[in-house]
Amino acid sequence: MFDGYRLTPYDEMFEAPGRPRPHYASLLESLVELGGEELARRDKLADLTMRQQGITFTVYGRSSGVERIIPFDPIPRLISAAEWDRIERGLKQRVRALNLFIHDVYHRRLILKSRVVPPELVFGASGYRRVCVGLNVPRDVYVHVSGIDLIRDTSGEFLVLEDNCRVPSGVSYVLKNRQVMKQVFPLLFESYNVRPVDDYTDNLLAVLRAMAPAGCDDPTVVVLTPGIYNSAYFEHSFLARQMGVELVEGRDLVFDRGQIFRRTTRGLERVDVIYRRVDDDFLDPLAFRPDSMLGAAGLMGAYHAGNIGLANALGTGVADDKGIYPFVPEMIRYYLSEEPILANVETYRPLIPAHKSHILANLEHLVVKAVDASGGYGMLIGPASTRAEREEFARRIEANPRGYIAQPTINLSRHPTFVNGRLDGRHIDLRPFVLQGEEITVLPGGLTRVALPEGSLVVNSSQGGGTKDTWVLDHAPPRPAYHSFGNPHA
Amino acid sequence: MLSRVAQNLYWMSRYLERVENVARLLDVGLDLELDAPSLRSEDASSPVQIAIDILSCRDLVQTRHAASDRGELLDFLTFDRTNPQSIQSIIAVARENARGTQESLGAEAWSAVNRLYLRLRGRRALKLYRASPTSFYASIKQSCILFDGHLHNTLPRDEVYHFTQLGRFVERTGVLARVLYAHCLDLAQARGDAEIAPRSVRWTALLRICSAHAAFLRFERDRVEPISVVRFLVLNPDFPRAIRFCVGRCRESLHEITGGDDDEYASEAERLMGRLESDLRYIDAGEILERGLVSFLDGVRITTDRAADEIRRSFFLG
Repeated sequence: MFDGYRLTPYDEMFEAPGRPRPHYASLLESLVELGGEELARRDKLADLTMRQQGITFTVYGRSSGVERIIPFDPIPRLISAAEWDRIERGLKQRVRALNLFIHDVYHRRLILKSRVVPPELVFGASGYRRVCVGLNVPRDVYVHVSGIDLIRDTSGEFLVLEDNCRVPSGVSYVLKNRQVMKQVFPLLFESYNVRPVDDYTDNLLAVLRAMAPAGCDDPTVVVLTPGIYNSAYFEHSFLARQMGVELVEGRDLVFDRGQIFRRTTRGLERVDVIYRRVDDDFLDPLAFRPDSMLGAAGLMGAYHAGNIGLANALGTGVADDKGIYPFVPEMIRYYLSEEPILANVETYRPLIPAHKSHILANLEHLVVKAVDASGGYGMLIGPASTRAEREEFARRIEANPRGYIAQPTINLSRHPTFVNGRLDGRHIDLRPFVLQGEEITVLPGGLTRVALPEGSLVVNSSQGGGTKDTWVLDHAPPRPAYHSFGNPHA
Repeated sequence: MLSRVAQNLYWMSRYLERVENVARLLDVGLDLELDAPSLRSEDASSPVQIAIDILSCRDLVQTRHAASDRGELLDFLTFDRTNPQSIQSIIAVARENARGTQESLGAEAWSAVNRLYLRLRGRRALKLYRASPTSFYASIKQSCILFDGHLHNTLPRDEVYHFTQLGRFVERTGVLARVLYAHCLDLAQARGDAEIAPRSVRWTALLRICSAHAAFLRFERDRVEPISVVRFLVLNPDFPRAIRFCVGRCRESLHEITGGDDDEYASEAERLMGRLESDLRYIDAGEILERGLVSFLDGVRITTDRAADEIRRSFFLG
């Protein structure tokens, strides 16, 4: 099964050819025991389960087959208890700082006055919302749900690749992957002590209820979706179902005398908290894009009057802007007086003349990202680019230095992945999900995304990425049954 | 509950009921033609023609297909994705409706619709159909019934449940009225014919289209006579494919949805269905035949359509 498996740093399973890392030893043994054929059979079974349950996402900008399932890889990704402890502390620290930053930006702006973050980057960020200035939100929590993308570099160090503080998606796949995994590999699962993930929706509901307007004891919570054609519709529906709340579209909501109501078969009924999966720009055609059909006219009025709770709060995009990203470690030092536990990926900013010349001279070694794009759209991967693409990006950077950042191409860690009937190394990342209500909690694990084409570094599902179940181990890993486990190449 | 969700549930349920009925009609139609060569699919009372009426695609059939070839006609009614009324297209719409209400329907019921949709699009569906249309239509009926089973056994008896019931029984009442109407019209025109054998074949076929043959024999203990068939399919209060039963379920669900007092109605739709139900309760089969079965059935259809219109106006978005 491991025929021709190439070991390149950092490999998640093997520390040397034929020598698995301690927490992977038992998994490796079970896989070899199962054999390729059986693995293929179960892989197919997992695929079928996903399709029948309609666990799909929608790909934009392609004419054929709008609905697709995200390819699911049956080999789980393991994170040891010690590794996870550090990640968890790092994420809590980072989200706390990001939240303080957003509050500061819309209130006293101390961090701008102290010149720790350049004001022009904040006010020029596409996620900055002037309507939020001076606006108070319940408990001063802005980022209720965030997804912080982590990667591992060649030395095995976890680094933060980007923050997602607006409407991060993917958590439903974490929960579904786990369900499918338990069905398809019950024994494999049992042998490890894996931390459960299924209390996520309970925690999310608690976070949402906690932000109800003052004086509202039993708040009505709804999930707001753009509708069934949105790429993450499955997730919206799944979360509403798991929380036992209604899934609404913009056209279900009406604004009347300062409050938001939903249209029901018995007339209008009040809504207190909206978990919105619609971008800021589309929330209220009166306040933002007038052509938006996805929001509710008047929503901002109710928000300003304190009659409705919104998660995430409005204007959080200022914190996950790629132009702000390089300053997050400084934010942590500034607000918390702590050293960052998780480091950033080294980042160059074309606004700094020295950086710009470095970027332009080294385009073929760098990854260039547009600061206001996400999902793998609008980026240049230097080593895989053509001369024409590089020239195009050089022009764009010259014209709009504020609009781009560049990072060295990092060889993401690789993980054995089931492709074409055998196991081969594929690049992976990790998106853990962080909830912030009365306290900050981190879902153990998160979404491991895997770039399925050989050598590819792009893990986004919109670009052909797949997912793996992520197992955070509680305590020590099980010992393999045979200590003398041999060389997998044999 | 949200008006949009109620609307989706109602229509999803109506569409699946329609699919189930059309599958049954097409299946019985094929079978009849093999059995009794004197029946042809062009006859107005042939199940295939009734199916065309229920799908309201007679114009389409006429403009797009000469309808001369039976196989082509069945393909058009079953698989043609360019025909918005084909079984395949209706299932796609039902699935869209279900997709928008997954969180109310529950994962299993949603998955049942989704599987039906995926199966029908696959190559194997066409293969099964070519090999045995009967098995193919039977598998569609089974999927619809499986879906209904999920609803019955997993949903609390709240609005979600009652809107699905309402959709199902409004559709079924309309289908039954149309099926009976087509038969009676045909028979009225053929009056005077002394051929008893094909007539009895037709009434038996009618019972089979309504999945009512066995139940009829048990209840009526009678030869298949027009008056007893009418009594059974129109007036029986306990058989789930009798008009009175269906109208009763519509009224019940409407009452649960609007939640009025027991002896009062709270919507125009409930009044219409309640009135129709009491007519059906106190009339007897002899009187219906005396007054004219055709106009009686037409009255049922008109009342049902009006009630459907009222449901849309009272509960839905637009």
